[in-house]
Amino acid sequence: MATAIGRRRPSLAEALRSAREVAATGHGIWSWLATVDHKRIGILYGFSAFFFFILGGIEALLIRIQLITPESEFLNPDQYNRIFTMHGTTMVFLVVMPLSSAFFNLLVPLMIGARDVAFPRLNAFSYWTFLVGGIFLNASFFTGGNIFQGELGAPDAGWFGYSTLTSTKFSPGHGVDFWVFGLQILGVASLAGGFNFIVTILNMRAPGMSLFRMPLFVWMTLVTSFLIVFAMPVIAVALFELMFDRLFDANFFNPDAGGNPLLWQHMFWLFGHPEVYILILPAMGIVSEILPTFARKPLFGYPFVVFSGLAIGFMSWGVWVHHMYTTGLGTVANAAFGVSTIMIGVPTGVKIFNWMATLWGGSIRLSTALLFAVGFVGMFTIGGLSGITHSMVPSDYQQQDTYYVVAHFHYVLFGGAIFGLFGGAYYWFPKFTGRLMNEGLGQINFWTLLIGFNLTFFPMHMSGLLGMPRRIYTYSEGQGWDLWNMMATIGAFVIACSVSVFIVNLILSLTRGEKSGDDPWDARTLEWSLPSPVPHYNFKEIPQVHALDDFWHRKYTEDEAGRPIPVVAGGSGQDEEHEEHDGHDIHMPSPSYFPLIASLGFPFIATGLIYHTALVPVGAALLLVGLYGWAMEPATEESA
Amino acid sequence: MRIDRSTLSRAVPAAILLLLLAVLVTGCETDTPQNTFAADGEVARDQRDLFYLAMWPAIFIMLFVELGLVVILLRFRRRRADEVPAQIHGNTRLELAWTIAPALLLLVLAVPMMSLLFKLGDDPGEDAFVVNVTGIRFVWKFDYPDVKGPDGQPLSSAPGDPLVFPAARKIRFNVTSLDVIHSFWIPRLGGKLDAVPQRDNRFWLKADEPGTWSGQCAEFCGLDHANMKLVAEALSEEDFDAWVEEKLAGIKTSSDAAGAISAPAR
Amino acid sequence: MENAVVSGHHLETSTGLDNRKLLMWVFLASECLFFGSLIAAYLLYRDRSVVGPYPDDVFDIPFTSVSAFVLLMSSVSMVLALASIQRGDRRGLQVWLFTTAMLGVLFISGQAYEFTEFHHEGLTLDRNLFGTTFFVLTGFHGAHVTVGVLVLLSLFAMTLQGKITQAESLHIELAGLYWHFVDIVWIVIFTLIYLIQP
Repeated sequence: MATAIGRRRPSLAEALRSAREVAATGHGIWSWLATVDHKRIGILYGFSAFFFFILGGIEALLIRIQLITPESEFLNPDQYNRIFTMHGTTMVFLVVMPLSSAFFNLLVPLMIGARDVAFPRLNAFSYWTFLVGGIFLNASFFTGGNIFQGELGAPDAGWFGYSTLTSTKFSPGHGVDFWVFGLQILGVASLAGGFNFIVTILNMRAPGMSLFRMPLFVWMTLVTSFLIVFAMPVIAVALFELMFDRLFDANFFNPDAGGNPLLWQHMFWLFGHPEVYILILPAMGIVSEILPTFARKPLFGYPFVVFSGLAIGFMSWGVWVHHMYTTGLGTVANAAFGVSTIMIGVPTGVKIFNWMATLWGGSIRLSTALLFAVGFVGMFTIGGLSGITHSMVPSDYQQQDTYYVVAHFHYVLFGGAIFGLFGGAYYWFPKFTGRLMNEGLGQINFWTLLIGFNLTFFPMHMSGLLGMPRRIYTYSEGQGWDLWNMMATIGAFVIACSVSVFIVNLILSLTRGEKSGDDPWDARTLEWSLPSPVPHYNFKEIPQVHALDDFWHRKYTEDEAGRPIPVVAGGSGQDEEHEEHDGHDIHMPSPSYFPLIASLGFPFIATGLIYHTALVPVGAALLLVGLYGWAMEPATEESA
Repeated sequence: MRIDRSTLSRAVPAAILLLLLAVLVTGCETDTPQNTFAADGEVARDQRDLFYLAMWPAIFIMLFVELGLVVILLRFRRRRADEVPAQIHGNTRLELAWTIAPALLLLVLAVPMMSLLFKLGDDPGEDAFVVNVTGIRFVWKFDYPDVKGPDGQPLSSAPGDPLVFPAARKIRFNVTSLDVIHSFWIPRLGGKLDAVPQRDNRFWLKADEPGTWSGQCAEFCGLDHANMKLVAEALSEEDFDAWVEEKLAGIKTSSDAAGAISAPAR
Repeated sequence: MENAVVSGHHLETSTGLDNRKLLMWVFLASECLFFGSLIAAYLLYRDRSVVGPYPDDVFDIPFTSVSAFVLLMSSVSMVLALASIQRGDRRGLQVWLFTTAMLGVLFISGQAYEFTEFHHEGLTLDRNLFGTTFFVLTGFHGAHVTVGVLVLLSLFAMTLQGKITQAESLHIELAGLYWHFVDIVWIVIFTLIYLIQP
């Protein structure tokens, strides 16, 4: 930039302001780096999480290639252990949780009639911290030597990191350190998001939207957010304790000093069990939105479904020992948790029947979104039932740590959560892009995924009961496991094909998908009353809500027999306002770079603690600068 | 490419059902080395029977839900673009019924579950033969405190040697580890028990008749976890006494030679 | 209805609580789980140390009682600070804010002295279960107090620049909530770890 004679260089404050102005135009990469718009943050979460899904999927394919035959030497044990550790860690923390966050971000403000979340910059901070944490964790792959010669540095103690394997004595490399710090960073991101959505949902509902007029997805977000803010501190403490043991020779898990390795398991699973409900409830919320829309009928038993979600939230704290039945805690402990585990099956199962009853008597449109939602119901049922067999404690002594467990949790997390999230993608894609995803490709995507998924994971019930333990890099011939493993590997590649179809569909639909209009599915909730794509201010006027499924009731009234009849003309009711004003007078929160700057501090601090302490103050400075700038800058331009 | 949805929505569940039937028909109790259903001991048998008790209602519910979904999708699919069904919001009695019924079913299952849980947790008594099991990366070591040598020392085997014990008697295992958490498991005799450092975990198993079985570590313990295997051999009382005599005399018995697992060079 | 999306005080919220106040309460609830886990680890490992020093060997209850009292008094001054600004008394706010921060500093100094003494008596983080659980628990608590002191001093600096008026008393209220929480955690720690010996 030329400096003419007489012109001075801009001051720091002016430079920052012009950076904000560039970001505020809404165009270009700078606007994305500084965005505080929940819709953009949702899209960022979605694409980043999908990228990690591909990464985790490749890790799964490597695992399956290694296990296609006995005594395979495709991967050596060191590589295998790192890859399965990263596969699990990635899928839980870098895929399902952030994909759920993507949907929270995109939908919650719209569904409650708000213009954004309660704390837009905290929201941005959540995203950047997640991204930074995910990159940091995966950077560990490169720290093991020459990655092109297959020397990997990633953590290798399992996604659950049991003590005493994770001590420096038995895991001397830095892999576990990356795991500890990576998860801590991700935990901060999740916590921030949890806080934000609790305040948003409790405080920012449109007038007339009582809690029992909220869409079910919003309820599930609320319960999930409470689970997050109570469960993440427990694993944060466990990780700090492990960190102190590894870095400073503390004794939390040191049996020679009297420490109890089982303490790690208690803390991990006290977090871990609520965590699995954190993973599944959002997808249950998505399914509870999709089924009513495509059946053109309300969710059957909305209050029951809400209460079952709340019940699951509460009860999830009382079952953690069922991950530890074989650790020798004693008959009484196992019995008590056996009972509580049996009981938690009830609110979970109730939903299945409510969903079936929603479809019963409906007018069902067999779109891709609906098929994924139905697929969720079908697959989650199987996973839930194998869960019931796990709750029979003595027979769990056989099932624990075998492929039967692997089958169980993939049925609930993949057949459940992932299917639900795919359904949500097809369902809400038009709302945020203004285009429909291609139905033909969608059908191929769904059916190949259903077939591939079942081909991969159903045989694992068999290999598990035939005595195949988990987490083994190879197995011997003559065990009767060969056929099941081969089927699973073939299935995994079918899944890969299906995901490829999805990617093709995504790209094609984004670039030349058919225009969708505002309400392509004749849906029930408020987001469908808005234009597609949604303008940056969301609602021109905050709506007044009169009922559950308020948008549906604006479209349909009921005759004396209770049959719905369309309301004449007006349609969504917002058409007039498209002409009147264009939203320029609505002040939205200003963009900010400080959340990104603050989150960049974390990897420096973590790397510093692992390698060179000098990096720690660098990271701390970045964090403090970010936080200070964030605290001092005004939230919106008008108060500048 | 047009895919006929109704054909597919019939074909796919049918394929899955056929697969299931194939599995059931080929039989669960095949004679493979670690088949938990090919129970050769009281504990494994009881655990398998408990599983069957839960498995049949589970299969029934699964078929009900899967077939139900297929039927619903076919029967209620939209036939006219403008059709809007009656807006049913719920049915409290029905919902209570399908909350209470599963709860009752589960409570019923809980009874045999608790009964077996306590039976397995009971002390096997004075007549039980005691074996101390120690997991050390990546082998198992067995010591026999009930068997005393001429010097009064209990019999112990080298790491990697097979486990040898009398058949038709309850065996009490005291399980621990010298390093990380392992899990001691002989699937055809019963479920597993974790080996935790500085902790003395106990359970009992029993082999109905003499035989040889394989087992392996079932808790991820590091690099060679997959190879941390064990051989377990139950002998008749006379054969077992003979084995003890030979061990105490320092003679390498056929059991040791045949089934020993070499400890990895450390 | 003109609706800017800013923190709750421009807007009526569904609960009537300001967004930031609700955030602080939820955050503090989450912190209960954080400190609860650390306290649980301490209690589970009590009397399990294989070697000494043990609590009886190092604890100086009178000394710690004084520092606990100091922290307790800082909560009183915090209440007075909030009461001042809520009635528009900016001078009172300055005095009591500064007092609170100084009492916090005094508490931290007491901790530092206490820990140094423990070190001299052989109690370190890596020594035994007692050292590990004690230092990590009280260390995290001390870190929380330190953050609180920094926040209070920042607010104090802002009062000197006239930036905090009666209308912005929420900032002081939020700082007060955090400060009282940290104090209550200390009451729990002091009672369970120092006073109640099995």
